[in-house]
Amino acid sequence: MKSFKKYWSIFRITLINSLAYPGELIGRSLMIIPFMWIFYQLWKITFEAAGVATINGMTLYSTLWYLMMAETIELSRPALARTISENVKDGSIAYILNKPYSFLLYQFSNSMGETIFRALTNALFGSVVVWWLVGPPPAPLGWFFALIALFGTWILNFCITCLIGLSAFLVEDVSPYMWIYQKFVFILGGFLIPLSFYPPWLQTIAKALPFAAMIYGPSQLFVTPSLELFINVLLMQFIWIAILGSTLVFSYNRGVTYLTVNGG
Amino acid sequence: MSAIEVTQLQKTFQTKRKTVGLRGSMRALFKPEYSSIEAVRRLSFQMEAGELLGFIGPNGAGKSTTIKMLTGILHPSGGDAKVLGFVPWKERQKLAYHIGTVFGQRPQLWYHLPAIDTFMLFGKIYEMDDRETKKRIEFLAEAFEMQDLLETPVRKLSLGQRMRCEVAASLLHRPKLLLLDEPSIGLDVVAKQHIRDAIRRMAQEENVGVLLTSHDAGDLEALCRRVIIINHGQIVYEDKVSNLKRKFLTRKMVEVRYAEEVSKDFSISGVEILKIGHYGVKLRFDTTKTSVDAVMSHLSEAGELVDITVSDPPLEDVIAKIYEQAREAENEAGK
Amino acid sequence: MKELKFLLAVWKANLLSVMEYRISFITQVLGMMLNDFMYFAIWIIFFDRFKDVRGWGVGDMYITYGVLASAFGLVSLFLGNAFTLSEIINNGRLDYYLSLPRPVLLHTVSSRMVSSGMGDFAYGFVSYALSGQYTWDGFLRFILATFLAAVVFASFLILVGSLAFWFGIISNLTNLMVNAMITFGIYPTTLFDNYAKLILFTIIPAALMGAVPAEFIAQFSWLSLAKLLTGAIIFLFLAITIFYTGLKRYESGSAIQIEV
Repeated sequence: MKSFKKYWSIFRITLINSLAYPGELIGRSLMIIPFMWIFYQLWKITFEAAGVATINGMTLYSTLWYLMMAETIELSRPALARTISENVKDGSIAYILNKPYSFLLYQFSNSMGETIFRALTNALFGSVVVWWLVGPPPAPLGWFFALIALFGTWILNFCITCLIGLSAFLVEDVSPYMWIYQKFVFILGGFLIPLSFYPPWLQTIAKALPFAAMIYGPSQLFVTPSLELFINVLLMQFIWIAILGSTLVFSYNRGVTYLTVNGG
Repeated sequence: MSAIEVTQLQKTFQTKRKTVGLRGSMRALFKPEYSSIEAVRRLSFQMEAGELLGFIGPNGAGKSTTIKMLTGILHPSGGDAKVLGFVPWKERQKLAYHIGTVFGQRPQLWYHLPAIDTFMLFGKIYEMDDRETKKRIEFLAEAFEMQDLLETPVRKLSLGQRMRCEVAASLLHRPKLLLLDEPSIGLDVVAKQHIRDAIRRMAQEENVGVLLTSHDAGDLEALCRRVIIINHGQIVYEDKVSNLKRKFLTRKMVEVRYAEEVSKDFSISGVEILKIGHYGVKLRFDTTKTSVDAVMSHLSEAGELVDITVSDPPLEDVIAKIYEQAREAENEAGK
Repeated sequence: MKELKFLLAVWKANLLSVMEYRISFITQVLGMMLNDFMYFAIWIIFFDRFKDVRGWGVGDMYITYGVLASAFGLVSLFLGNAFTLSEIINNGRLDYYLSLPRPVLLHTVSSRMVSSGMGDFAYGFVSYALSGQYTWDGFLRFILATFLAAVVFASFLILVGSLAFWFGIISNLTNLMVNAMITFGIYPTTLFDNYAKLILFTIIPAALMGAVPAEFIAQFSWLSLAKLLTGAIIFLFLAITIFYTGLKRYESGSAIQIEV
């Protein structure tokens, strides 16, 4: 257990560090306010134009809270791919390999430290706005389920962004892949539009992929918590974590071998 | 007219005090504490046109701050300065046409391009005619021996080669004053030599004043005639380099070798024996306490000398001594 | 003006610099075009489901998206450092531009070209072409509107970036602002009530980058032209003012961490 203490302290340091520039932390999180407002406008008009109170099982109320959750998740992501690709490109990853800790766990603790407060402040400000616009947040059960699913989201996101960062071993420039990843999350994760509104065929595809487990999962659980959905989401997350996690570890080890054989 | 005139220049910074730990960070969020740092305190000095002046001091002494004020990038908290007749922080853009800067930590050359592309761009920046720029590049290429380096992307050059190009770039527009901030940092001995020679030559040929800040005493010795030693934002010592060495030069090291084995006792009063062997000895002594003549006679009496080396303490030691003296004086004053 | 000669030289250096990495350049351009298309795909899904929103249909969307993308691309290509202005201020790189005899703001923001901007710029035209409302005078309006939208966007970026003079590291904030501009730029103004419109014209001038130019492109009107011109001029003025005010603060040394 002693070895895990060091990751906890890395996490703690990054956490404290994220408070070092409070103006930035708060300012960033304020951004969620106009986002939620404008989503409200869009969906209010859309629901009115459609002339119904419920679309695909979602009301304006649940749509907004869904989007709040989705925004919180998306906006608290740290720029891990870039950091890692830079480490790979300038060779500093080699120095990290000399240290007595696992690179992957280090990066994970680091990025979690960055994420927590951001997620908190985002959720706080987002909730205030959405509460004011459509009413109080959904039942605590939703919170509970969503929070658990959130951990899965963070792990999944870590695996994917880390993989993209490590692709710096192969490609000159990883940023186009980050963009595409983000767009997949947007489209197939049900980020700007709740997944339930999609045509059924697209929903099926989306739900099979990790992106939905990352955004749609927690967000939908938040507004329409059900044991069935919960188990479903966790299962998907688990499967994808297994797949992507092992891919990550495998790729990382390949990368390290390449480095130690070929030099920086 | 002097190139630089500085009178009672002052600069104080306010920095936020960083607190340790989670609670401290939260407190700092709502009630930050500030501390002030006096980076430069009532600094006054002058530099003549075409002079080679060294500005030496340890980290945090205030060198970079002073240079920033002289280039107009930073406004002083008090005092005056005039560089080439301009008040730097008021007429920065005008001054920029006449000075060149090389900052060891801040590259001017575009990293991904061959140096010559940056030179051509600089020509446009300084409003030079294209033809004029090209002629100037040719001239500098020869002076700095960079003809084959110009077409190589800067990222592929060694640090020494890059610095040579950087210094050349700073001279493109024929400035009257060249400000060098740690130009030889990170360079190997040969590269340092190259740079120093090139700078000295250009300074002489084009009558460019050179203000050099460094904490490498070798730069000083090679390039500067006069030196200002600065510490804690104040001038600690100011003199010609030659005087500096002479005044503080009270210790000498002598190493001798004999034709045959000697077993003489070398203990002379006031002389420290550094190394002693069958064929030679290395001594150090204070010339104010023991005369050179006494030591030399003693040594030559011991046997037939075949080799002798007499050396001064390195300039670094001299300067370290000056810092020490200044610190002691400060402590005394503080008491 | 002599500044133009200087600018052309800087842009040329920028181009040479990015062309040093052929493969990266191409992946950036193509990747960005793909990225832009995928982002738009969400809206295709939306309009497939909801047909139109208060008269604003998918065709209008294509135009809005087009002008947004091209304007974004223009800024990336010619004023690439506007995105990273806060970082330049924070890591002391500004000193480099300050020590040279050219207008600081112009020199700083024009000294980088973001290759992906080429992809955005090109995609904008593609998007406009796909709108099905393609006419020759419309095309000319597209070019003018793109230019004015680019002025608004660049000014906005400079404005936000200059906050670094007061608040230190704000690169994350800048990123968010860019995201906001893009996200909301796509929303048609018919969607919003007066309060929301206020936000979209001022705090985050996304309307001036998306909806208003799109209106102008779809059909010429003095009003929309006036809105565009006024917006561009005001934001440009604000950007320059705030930057130079912050610069004074920087020069007095009360901005960020200093190395003595």
